[in-house]
Amino acid sequence: MHIPDGFLDPLIAGLFWLGAVGAIGIAVRRARGELGDDRTPLLGVVAAGIFAAQMLNWPIPGGTSAHFVGGAFAGILLGPSLGVLAMTAVVTIQALVFGDGGIIALGGNLFAMAVVNVVVGYGLFRAVRGVHETGAAFLAGWGAITVSALAVGLGLGGSGAFAYELGVTVPIMVGGHAVLGLIEGAITAGVYHYIATARPKLVIGRGGDDALSPEVGV
Amino acid sequence: MSVTADDSWLRGAILGLLILVVLAPVFGWAADAVGYAEPLENAAEATGATDAATSILPALFAGYSLPGLGGPLSTLLSAAIGTALTLGVAVGTGRLLEQ
Repeated sequence: MHIPDGFLDPLIAGLFWLGAVGAIGIAVRRARGELGDDRTPLLGVVAAGIFAAQMLNWPIPGGTSAHFVGGAFAGILLGPSLGVLAMTAVVTIQALVFGDGGIIALGGNLFAMAVVNVVVGYGLFRAVRGVHETGAAFLAGWGAITVSALAVGLGLGGSGAFAYELGVTVPIMVGGHAVLGLIEGAITAGVYHYIATARPKLVIGRGGDDALSPEVGV
Repeated sequence: MSVTADDSWLRGAILGLLILVVLAPVFGWAADAVGYAEPLENAAEATGATDAATSILPALFAGYSLPGLGGPLSTLLSAAIGTALTLGVAVGTGRLLEQ
């Protein structure tokens, strides 16, 4: 899912940067009121855990592999603002320190993995959790990675390097990640269920209001 | 990292991070064995974009490997460094925003 440099047209890369910076700016402003207490270490642990989990490439017989992305998980556990911050740390360090994803393309990678993946995952979870909470976490993990893949597919297909073949890039990205996303959904649901059962007070994103005071348990 | 509240969850969480880091070289080996290809790479191949990929800023630990070191140890150290760095950056950012 990490776009290297050279793949995106400058216009597309710029639009991705605009979207990413705008959304991260909103997240930073909203996060100011949400941090403190257990929440700052939790932000760090979730970000670090997602970095480590992204290094685990699942070998899938047939020559495909992918790794957990984790934006939906961050959004559900931390709420959208802190979730966006956690993923921004992960994706930026991957690009700057490990060359995973380009520098000009960093806006696109942030937009897909730190914004869309988090916000869509959180939104899906909130919409469906009344029906079944663990099921909602699965749907969030699966749906969010698929929508992120759509964003990347549109960006690639709108670029000259991909011969503007949206009809090729979008189906490959969306179809591929819709299948791989089943694993993303299963991990999201499994880890969420474990944490929500063992440590319910750590689940910030479950709260009714994004601006809960740090003392409010669930 | 200073912890204000109940830190029992934190000990478990750090242990969890260590387990993930130790697993990194194992998964790396297994993914190599089946051939690593993401949908993005398939899309690049299908449209002839593969060769357009460039690197405009060489990263210190490009490809999650340490300079002059290869194999599983390199992956393990990359995972450890990256995980610790992410933890530090995220907590540092959080602490700054708290004020």
